Amino acid sequence: MTGLPLQRDDGGGRYPGFSTLAQARHWDPVTAAVVQSRTALPPDVRFFTPAEEAAARALFDQLLDQHAEPRVPVVNMVDARLAEEETDGWHYDNMPRDGEAWRASLAALDDEARTREDCTFALLSLDDQAKLLQDICDLDRDLWHDLPADRVWSLWTRYACTAFYSHPLAWDEIGFAGPAYPRGYKNLGVDGLEPFEVRDVRPDADPTHGADR
Amino acid sequence: MSTLRERNESAWLLPKGPGSNLGLRENMRRFRDDDEVDIVIVGCGAGGATLLQRLARAGWRAVGLDAGPFWEPEQDWVSDEAGSHHLYWTEPRVIGGSDPVPLGSNNSGRGVGGSMVHFAGYTPRFHPSDFHTLSADGVGADWPLEYGELRPYYEDIEAELPVSGEHWPWGDPHSYPHRPHPVSGNGELFLRGANACGVTAKVGPVAIANGRFGNRPHCIYRGFCLQGCKVNAKASPLITHVPDALAQGAEIRPDSMATKVCLDERTGLATGVEYVQGGIQRFQRARLVAVAGYSIETPRLLLNSTSTRFPDGMCNDFDQVGRYLMVQGAPQTGGRFQAEVRMWKAPPPEVSTEDFYETDPAKPYKRGFSIQCVSPLPITWAEHVAAQGHWGAALRRYMSDYPHWACLGALCEFLPLEGNRVTLADETDRNGIPVARFSYSQCENDRQLMSAAQQVMEQILTAAGAEEVITINRYAHLVGGARMAAAEQEGVVDRNLRSFAVPNLLVTDGSVLPTQGSANPALTIMALAARAARVLVQGARRGVTSTKEN
Repeated sequence: MTGLPLQRDDGGGRYPGFSTLAQARHWDPVTAAVVQSRTALPPDVRFFTPAEEAAARALFDQLLDQHAEPRVPVVNMVDARLAEEETDGWHYDNMPRDGEAWRASLAALDDEARTREDCTFALLSLDDQAKLLQDICDLDRDLWHDLPADRVWSLWTRYACTAFYSHPLAWDEIGFAGPAYPRGYKNLGVDGLEPFEVRDVRPDADPTHGADR
Repeated sequence: MSTLRERNESAWLLPKGPGSNLGLRENMRRFRDDDEVDIVIVGCGAGGATLLQRLARAGWRAVGLDAGPFWEPEQDWVSDEAGSHHLYWTEPRVIGGSDPVPLGSNNSGRGVGGSMVHFAGYTPRFHPSDFHTLSADGVGADWPLEYGELRPYYEDIEAELPVSGEHWPWGDPHSYPHRPHPVSGNGELFLRGANACGVTAKVGPVAIANGRFGNRPHCIYRGFCLQGCKVNAKASPLITHVPDALAQGAEIRPDSMATKVCLDERTGLATGVEYVQGGIQRFQRARLVAVAGYSIETPRLLLNSTSTRFPDGMCNDFDQVGRYLMVQGAPQTGGRFQAEVRMWKAPPPEVSTEDFYETDPAKPYKRGFSIQCVSPLPITWAEHVAAQGHWGAALRRYMSDYPHWACLGALCEFLPLEGNRVTLADETDRNGIPVARFSYSQCENDRQLMSAAQQVMEQILTAAGAEEVITINRYAHLVGGARMAAAEQEGVVDRNLRSFAVPNLLVTDGSVLPTQGSANPALTIMALAARAARVLVQGARRGVTSTKEN
């Protein structure tokens, strides 16, 4: 399986040749099945309507900067969670339950796009999509289409990050070796690496410096 | 045979290496619903399972109900963050207040073993000062119990888990039964930074055996403590108390959701517990009932247990049920190092400092905080990064730097406030039972502690060589909600965890804590349950309905 496309300036290629999945033979079978299922054909979309799916797809592509194949199929992964009601259960008293909150916030994205450019969110240019999202992010605790903007932003990013960073290809680009049972680790300590771990070739690429937002 | 093994044989009842003793479960004693057992316990976590084990040892006919599954770690748990969602309580709940506390993952559990199944493993004792903060500091509450009365139970439980760590210089100084574990890059940087700024930091205390313990194997330093320990190295009641309880004749009924504690209106005594198992409503008769569903579900169950005698919920004569619920402020600070830290390697719990635990007269706030290593896995770390406002390309770029980050977490002693409480919401669960509404608002002291803890963590990481630091504000742990008190007007249970209003009803979980210190609560919950069990056993079974104090 090839890696996810990520430009060098965006943190790509820091762990050359590192593959979490190449270690799968060292994992216990139950864990291996769970992780490897994420690389299989994703489940069909069941929860989102076609309009919601289009908005969600564009939203996740933006939030996770996935603009080319191969992609982590985030929209299918989130859709599956919502279809199966695999939520955390709780909801804020000024927000509906997660499923309804997703429907409402995706509809609001399309409403906002129509107000701005007379088209749905998915049909906005990438730059306009990004600008619209940054505006919502900046609203903080203010209401946005009758929903508290910070809660909406948190809902979107929580689901997006949970899906994306559960995928072994995403682990490859961050140097994370994934499951470690029953093997465990032998070389603990600062700069201690296992034989299968790959050292960062650009340790100076501190994201807090340079071209960051 | 050692005294420890005579007291609790769990570690020797497990198979050698990972896995479960399934024979114990298959051959478990089974009571009928219409048997009047000596006690039915709702919840098999830290409080419930400890009580069950102690009473079964004393020959009591005891049944534990748990809403979740009877885990088989080899089959049911994975070395994977997203794949561990089923370890949490994900039934519907509503959160509100000016500082709502998200539930679900880090502060809830389900299934036999409770939230200790996925707790990090830190098991510090409370300090003697925790037991009288109102008298000494003018904040919080005084317990109807002093530290010295709990100390022998701390020692017992520390031996049974067992706990490993350096000699502990804080609070009541003490040692641990197992030596400290080796530390990872994260722990190493904490120790280095603390040393450089004159803060005392120590390795431990963690409930992970260092060396073999009974048949339990040595830790393999794989991280993933928060996803359930497949190795059987990290303690949870599933392996530390449940095996012995079953061997001593207790029954555990998993997948059984308690819906009501029933009352005999004439005698004013509890008669047993209604519960739903496999869609069927059942009722277990019992001479005593103990509720150990933790700080949200325990108040919810009591509030839903209405009767003519208790129209507003059982034991709620003075509107105390659900109140004084606490979370700890738990900001986490990450520090960026040129070197590779790879903080996910080795158990997240490693090093702590309790230098800032008590009230410092030079500070504008009362009480304090502790600082411990935490090691967020990728999804949790991504949430930290996203909380800084990063998304899209910036998020991916930040995340690619993951091996360079170390992370510390604080536990700030938020104060018990009357209005921080559980009430019943209009929503119902799939059994038609009203769900909990949990409201939380911080006070000024709480906010000052969060900010002070953040400053210290940033100092420590910077002194260790961090180039940049980022902090996210979050919460950890839940305690209170059915607190113990000296008088019925101020709490729900007495010092022996027996409810004031119903003499044969106990609450034996974290909800009885009147204050929380800056300590992780698991050890104290187990010690309180062990103490309550001792009082019950000494009182003899026929005397259980007496309200006489021990």
